Amino acid sequence: MSSQLSNTSFKFVALGAGNEVGRSCHILSYKGKTIMLDAGVHPAYQGMASLPFYDDYDLSTVDILLISHFHLDHAASLPYVMQRTNFKGRVFMTHPTKAIYRWLLRDFVRVTSIGENSILDKDDNLYTDEDLVESFDRIETIDFHSTVEANGIKFTAFHAGHVLGAAMFQIEIAGLKVLFTGDYSRELDRHLNSAEVPPLPSDVLIVESTFGTATHEPRLNREKKLTQIIHSTVAKGGRVLMPVFALGRAQELMLILEEYWTQHAEELASNQVPIYYASDLARKCMNVFQTYVNMMNDDIRKKFRDSQTNPFIFKHISYLKNLDEFQDFGPSVMLASPGMLQSGISRDLLEKWCPEEKNLVLITGYSVEGTMAKYIMLEPDTIPSVNNPDLTIPRRCQVEEISFAAHVDFQENLEFIEKINATNIILVHGESNPMGRLKSALLSNFASLKGTPEEVHVYNPRNSVDVVLEYKGVKVAKALGN
Amino acid sequence: MSSTIFYRWKSQREPSRILFDGTGLTVFDLKREIIQENKLGDGVDFQLRIYNPDTDEEYDEDQTVIARSSSIIARRSPAAVKINMGGGSTSNRTPHKMIGNAARYVTGRPRVFNTTSKRP
Ligand SMILES: [Zn+2]
Ligand SMILES: [Zn+2]
Repeated sequence: MSSQLSNTSFKFVALGAGNEVGRSCHILSYKGKTIMLDAGVHPAYQGMASLPFYDDYDLSTVDILLISHFHLDHAASLPYVMQRTNFKGRVFMTHPTKAIYRWLLRDFVRVTSIGENSILDKDDNLYTDEDLVESFDRIETIDFHSTVEANGIKFTAFHAGHVLGAAMFQIEIAGLKVLFTGDYSRELDRHLNSAEVPPLPSDVLIVESTFGTATHEPRLNREKKLTQIIHSTVAKGGRVLMPVFALGRAQELMLILEEYWTQHAEELASNQVPIYYASDLARKCMNVFQTYVNMMNDDIRKKFRDSQTNPFIFKHISYLKNLDEFQDFGPSVMLASPGMLQSGISRDLLEKWCPEEKNLVLITGYSVEGTMAKYIMLEPDTIPSVNNPDLTIPRRCQVEEISFAAHVDFQENLEFIEKINATNIILVHGESNPMGRLKSALLSNFASLKGTPEEVHVYNPRNSVDVVLEYKGVKVAKALGN
Repeated sequence: MSSTIFYRWKSQREPSRILFDGTGLTVFDLKREIIQENKLGDGVDFQLRIYNPDTDEEYDEDQTVIARSSSIIARRSPAAVKINMGGGSTSNRTPHKMIGNAARYVTGRPRVFNTTSKRP
């Protein structure tokens, strides 16, 4: 279909996360080697529609597939790729990613098969439990900072600071170095270190653009806002619903709440205002967090060493398996999945609590276009019931957004991009408008290099649209320049 | 439901099938069935193309009839987008409109020989 590319062409294509957030999947090819990055699903869609555009690439040509982290938008179509397509490559992820991936996807299969089994066919799943089990053993694990060579491709994982186990990959093919950030954060938080800058330079940078040119408020302010609004809501007898993705940022939020409840024990603790986390999955994964405490920051490691207990087992937070065991008598704080209120426990609670003015829905993650979390922030008068599309529910509760999403803001992204010093920058994982604004901001930032050999090119390709870069002889010049 | 057309997603190993009554389905109806069978939604942000597996030729005429028991290849791609580059706009919005997508297969009226219980 496409014209024959010369041997020195580097080709990039996004099958997902091109001008959108969700279904991350990118394919790089250079000198006959092909690397796939991530295999996610889109949180605003279900079934086939949530997949990256796999039909647009011959997956049998992929040599290796690297998964950046366990979030569904980066990993949840992996069993589909391994079991249902003609993909034959090797798959790699870090140890903690694999440990959590196992639980997460089992839950994903279960949730989607229950949520979907209306009057229609039973087989609405992208893959089955068996697919998951069969493919799981074929996933190879890698250590951070150790370079792996597979099929003539070298790659190294660096900490991305986004969730436990999240990696950036620096990939080297025939001398050309490409860095893929995945989702990354440059902020030191309560349990993770900030993302690392790889010691070696990169020629091509594939970087997330979730927040575009937006600026995060300082961390301390956000924590203060968060705890204050929660405290004042429960003080008035209200309920606080915090929709969260089961693993990752939820643990960070719990560390904040646990500390605040300890500090305000007289008014809040001893079950006066209970905090619940309605996630059996998170409970199951607690030992994974304990196992990999050594990959977290000094602060949490010290806590772990000093107290000899798992810092992710909380005094003031109880786990709920489901809502059946929840007695909704008075003010409480509830963390519940899914994070974008699409269905499930968080959605059930939303529909139960949103008619009451004193209650609060507190959005802390990034909300993808097309999801209920995004919609509720418009403060609509009513919301549709998920189980009964003919029913609408009045919304009088408060809605607040305080972001604890572990993605870089503009300043952090720019500083990192400048450190990487790549001349070709490919933006992914951002809605069109923020991504477009980021592109313009980067171009004006690097405007002085225009016309020089160091000129910086920025691309924001849509899904299935190729970016082709010529790397003939450029290597030598670059090596001298550095 | 005596007739079958087999379709295989381009990236998949195994074929799936559409069941219907009659001797064949038009490309229009076949695409519509595939979209519904897979719950692909309103068709606005993707396009669906189908191909002859032997010749790789696309069936691009909606009226073409695919005979029962045939096999075809189906391909789901992003909607074709026309980016409006003109106007010297300094806005960072990307003004675009979808020029090729699968929406008409979803909104279009089903043909008379198709099953009649379809929602409008
Ligand atoms: Zn993520
Ligand atoms: Zn993501």
